[in-house]
Amino acid sequence: MTESSIALKAQGSRGVVPWKQVLLLGSVVALVLGIGLGADSPFLLSLAGYTCGFALFAVSVNVMLGGIGEVPLGHCMFFGIGAYAPAIAMNHLGLPYEAGILLGMGFSAVLAVLIGWLTLKLTGAYFSIVSWGLSGVAMVTALNLEITGGPLGLFGFTRLAIGPFDLSDPRTYFFATAAILLLVLIVLANVRSSRFGNALESIRQGRHLAQSLGINVFRERLKALVFSAPIAALAGALCIPYTQIVTPEVMSVLRTVDALLAVLIGGTGLLFGPVIGAVIFTILPQFLQFDPNVKVLVFSLIIIFIMVVAPGGLHQLFKLIERRLEKRSEGRA
Amino acid sequence: MDLLVQTIINGLILGSGYALVAVGLTIIFGTLHIVNFAHGAFFALGAYAVLQLENAGIPYLLCIPLAVIVVAIIGFVLELTIVQRALYDRGEHGSIIITFALSQAIVAAIVLVIGPDPLPVKSPFGQTAISVFGFFISAQRLFIAGTSIAVLMGFSLWLRYSIKGQQILAISQNPKGALYSGINVPRLRALSFLLGVSAAGLAGGLIAPLISAFPTMGDANVIVAFTVVILGGLGSIGGALLGALVIGLANSMFETYVSVSWTPALGWILVIFVLLFWPQGLLGRPELNRH
Repeated sequence: MTESSIALKAQGSRGVVPWKQVLLLGSVVALVLGIGLGADSPFLLSLAGYTCGFALFAVSVNVMLGGIGEVPLGHCMFFGIGAYAPAIAMNHLGLPYEAGILLGMGFSAVLAVLIGWLTLKLTGAYFSIVSWGLSGVAMVTALNLEITGGPLGLFGFTRLAIGPFDLSDPRTYFFATAAILLLVLIVLANVRSSRFGNALESIRQGRHLAQSLGINVFRERLKALVFSAPIAALAGALCIPYTQIVTPEVMSVLRTVDALLAVLIGGTGLLFGPVIGAVIFTILPQFLQFDPNVKVLVFSLIIIFIMVVAPGGLHQLFKLIERRLEKRSEGRA
Repeated sequence: MDLLVQTIINGLILGSGYALVAVGLTIIFGTLHIVNFAHGAFFALGAYAVLQLENAGIPYLLCIPLAVIVVAIIGFVLELTIVQRALYDRGEHGSIIITFALSQAIVAAIVLVIGPDPLPVKSPFGQTAISVFGFFISAQRLFIAGTSIAVLMGFSLWLRYSIKGQQILAISQNPKGALYSGINVPRLRALSFLLGVSAAGLAGGLIAPLISAFPTMGDANVIVAFTVVILGGLGSIGGALLGALVIGLANSMFETYVSVSWTPALGWILVIFVLLFWPQGLLGRPELNRH
């Protein structure tokens, strides 16, 4: 932990207003308003909305990766459940979109309890393989069931709206997803500095030590999964207004890989890391007009490069450069 | 009764093919303690190498060893540039991400260079089936099974009786101790990585005529290989063979008697159950698995 973050925490506990965070929040809100009101192209706005949804998924993946240090390859399953739930609710059950979102989040949380209870005793590659496996099963299930529309998927949704906000309008869509993303980030920031957040951090750094200090490692890991699954489901639901269709492909492991890339580009240690990564990951290829495969190739190579040079992401890379520069200036003085 | 015997034969033949895909995975895990998520990509590289060589007019049986060499060279370059620098003696989560990213990059590169569509690979065995006591066995599958058993035996004997093999076993048990005993650890790690990915390439080249070559062909096979390796116990070659035969049988039984469209889920469900209830596998060492 760096000195500044300790100082920040000490400040928070004394009840002083954390100016740095307020400033950050303000500038982010200003940025969102700027983009939302400034941009005119519906395409750009809905892309920005989708980016926020995708960032939400990356944030959820980072709860696992940055939180407890596991690689949840099968996290796309929760994303898929979140996408399928409103689709099924609207097309088969006659329920509105919001109800579907809540159903998906609830279902994914229940499923996360079950899955976590079974699998979180495993760590490392074993957890990743089982997690990948579960998403594989989920995808085959979606392909074979009738209620999911089989390989064709579900489409032709009636009204994609949350309360009075109609998400088929690109500007509303962007504002809604950005607001939800911001809300989740604020919750997460509070969770991070809570007892639970500290327990997670200690487990990530050394599970045996954490256990010896009286932390119930298994339970805290389970909590992390149950906490992150509904966020992934929410992300899945929020991507529907952009994609307009839900196919078994939403559960493809490639989606998790995309999110992992976003997380790693931004850095696992930073709360905003996944969001920055997601923005780079979705916006840049659009402007460069990349073929999807070139995109995968380039970003995979970037990931490998980051992991080889700076496993902490761009964030760490910047810090590394900063420290080098500081050292150089000290040397001169 | 006839159907049952035919199903069992199919299963065993299928399983010995799986063993070939799995053996590379198990060697790399046994020595380097890395779960190589890029295994499927090397599998695809092997298949595409055979395809390209065949298009150049080289007969299939000669293509196979050449393709293995091509894959070994690619593996060597990647070992030198990436694996060596980033994977050894680092945390597990880095190796998962890097090998996964590597696999994505290789698959994307294949799509860009050759194209996304499945391409047929010709083999002299073609679609012919040999009839034994009234039961049919595909000639290509028999060829795969034979090669697979030969390769697995070769690997086990080599690990047990050659000096290099013994050194690799020493590294897998205790890398630092091996280093202090004067074993060239980096070179032998590179060697086991090469052997592992070459085995994947060989499997790809052999299985390609059955399923034709497409960029993501490795995915389904590496998933099966994970099942096999975990069932057999990561790091054990005998276990890989045993696991492969069990999975082969299970798959062919399921396909015949239950459902074809749900078969892809079977492999996953088996992996999950094995990991949950039997994490050390059939022949694995228990201490490797739960941390």
